[in-house]
Amino acid sequence: MIQLINVNKHFGPLHVLVDVDLTVKSGEKLVVIGPSGSGKSTLIRCMNLLERPTSGTVIVDGVDITAPGAPLTKVRQSVAMVFQQFNLYPHKTVLENVTMAPILVKGIPREEAEASGLEFLDRVGLKHKANAYPSQLSGGQQQRVAIARALNMRPKIMLFDEPTSALDPEMVQEVLDVMIGLSQEGITMVVVTHEMGFAREVADRVIFMDGGQILEEGPPEHFFEAPRHERTRLFLSRILR
Amino acid sequence: MMEELAALAQWHNVRFMAEGLWITLRISGLTIAFSFILGTLLGVMRYSGHWLLARIAAVYIESFRASPLILLILLFRFTMPLKPVNSGTLAMTLFTAAIVGEIVRGGLNSVDKGQWEAARSQGFTWWQTMQHIVLPQALRKMIPPLTGQFITVVKDTSYVWVVGVQELTGKGVIILGQHGSTL
Ligand SMILES: Nc1ncnc2c1ncn2[C@@H]1O[C@H](COP(=O)(O)OP(=O)(O)O)[C@@H](O)[C@H]1O
Ligand SMILES: [Mg+2]
Repeated sequence: MIQLINVNKHFGPLHVLVDVDLTVKSGEKLVVIGPSGSGKSTLIRCMNLLERPTSGTVIVDGVDITAPGAPLTKVRQSVAMVFQQFNLYPHKTVLENVTMAPILVKGIPREEAEASGLEFLDRVGLKHKANAYPSQLSGGQQQRVAIARALNMRPKIMLFDEPTSALDPEMVQEVLDVMIGLSQEGITMVVVTHEMGFAREVADRVIFMDGGQILEEGPPEHFFEAPRHERTRLFLSRILR
Repeated sequence: MMEELAALAQWHNVRFMAEGLWITLRISGLTIAFSFILGTLLGVMRYSGHWLLARIAAVYIESFRASPLILLILLFRFTMPLKPVNSGTLAMTLFTAAIVGEIVRGGLNSVDKGQWEAARSQGFTWWQTMQHIVLPQALRKMIPPLTGQFITVVKDTSYVWVVGVQELTGKGVIILGQHGSTL
C-alpha cells in the first residue's frame, strides 16, 4: 500500500532520513513515535510527497510517486493528511472546508459533496457548526473538522502528524475518540503520536524513530514490555512517566 | 479676499475645475484598475519562486520602484507616441504596478505555509491553491496598504500636469493665477 525503499532526505547539511525502508500494508494502523527532530514529520510527509526525498523510492497504491511526472494530484486524492496545526481554510465555512477539494479536485457535484460532508461532520459531532468559521471553533473542534475534511475525500490512506499535540489536554480525547472510531474501518492509517494509550488500542505496529532511522519496531505491547534499545527505553520512560 | 473667493466660485471656473476633477478621476481610475491587475500578476510571479518568472518580476519591480515617478512621466511623454494624458496614465500605471506587486507579495508571504500544505495534500494544483486558498487570504491582508497606495495615486495625478495635462490641481493653479491670487 505504502512502500518506502531506501529513502534519504537531506535539508542542506542535515541528513534527516537515513536509508529508510518501510512497508505499510493495506488497512494497517501504524503508529510512529520518536523524539523531536528524529524525522517523523519528514517521513510521513514523504508519503504524499509534501517533502520530496533526496533519493529513494516511494510507492503509494502501486504508483511510484517519486518518478518524474508521477500523477501526484491524482494520488493525493486518496491520501488524506491531518496536521498538528489543523490548517483549516480560515476564509471558508466549516462546510466549505469539507467540500472544497471534493468539488474542485475530484469534480463531485456540490449537492453530493455537501450531503456527504454533512454526514462526516455529523460523525465527528460537528454538524451544527457547518456554517461557522474555523476561528469560531475550539482547537479540538477544528481538528475534528480537519478529520471530516480528510474523510470527505474518501481516502484509502490517512496520515496524521501529531494531531493532538497542539490541543489543550481536555480536548485530546475527543479527537482520539474520532480516530479510534475510524480505525474500525478498512482505512490505512499512519499516525505520528505520543499518545501511547491510543497506540495500544489501535496500532497493529509501532515504529520508533531516532536520528532519521527506524530504530525499533513491533506491536505496541513490545514497546510496553520489552523495548530492545536503551534509546527506546529512555524515550518511553519520558513520555509514559 | 472675499471678492477673490467669490470670483473663484464663478460658474465658468467651477466648470473648469469640474473638468479637472474628471481628468483626475479618469487618470487615477485607470491607473488603479490596471496597476491592480498587473501588480497582482507581478506579485504572484515574484512569490512563485519560478526561476524565470520570479526574476522578471523582481527586475521589473526593482527598476520601477527605484525611478522617481515624475521622471517616468516625463520620459514617457517624450518617448511615446501618445497623448500626454495617456502617456502620463501609462507611466503612473507601470510605476504603481511595481508597488502593488510588492504589496501583493507581502500579502502572499503572510499566509501560513500550512495552507499550502493542506491544499496540496488534498490534491489542489499550484494554481488552484493560489486562486482559491492563498490569494483570497492575502487580499484581505492587503486591503489597508492597497488603500493607502491608491490614495497616493489620486494625489500623484497632479504630476501629470508637468506634461501639459490640466487635471484638478493644474486647473486650480491656473484660476488662481488668473485672479492674481495670494491664496
Ligand atoms: N523544511 C526544513 N528545512 C530545514 N530543516 C528541516 C526542515 N524540516 C525539518 N527540518 C529538520 O529536519 C529534522 C527532522 O525534522 P522533523 O521531520 O520535523 O522531525 P520530527 O517530526 O520527528 O520532530 C529536524 O532537525 C528539523 O529541524
Ligand atoms: Mg514533527
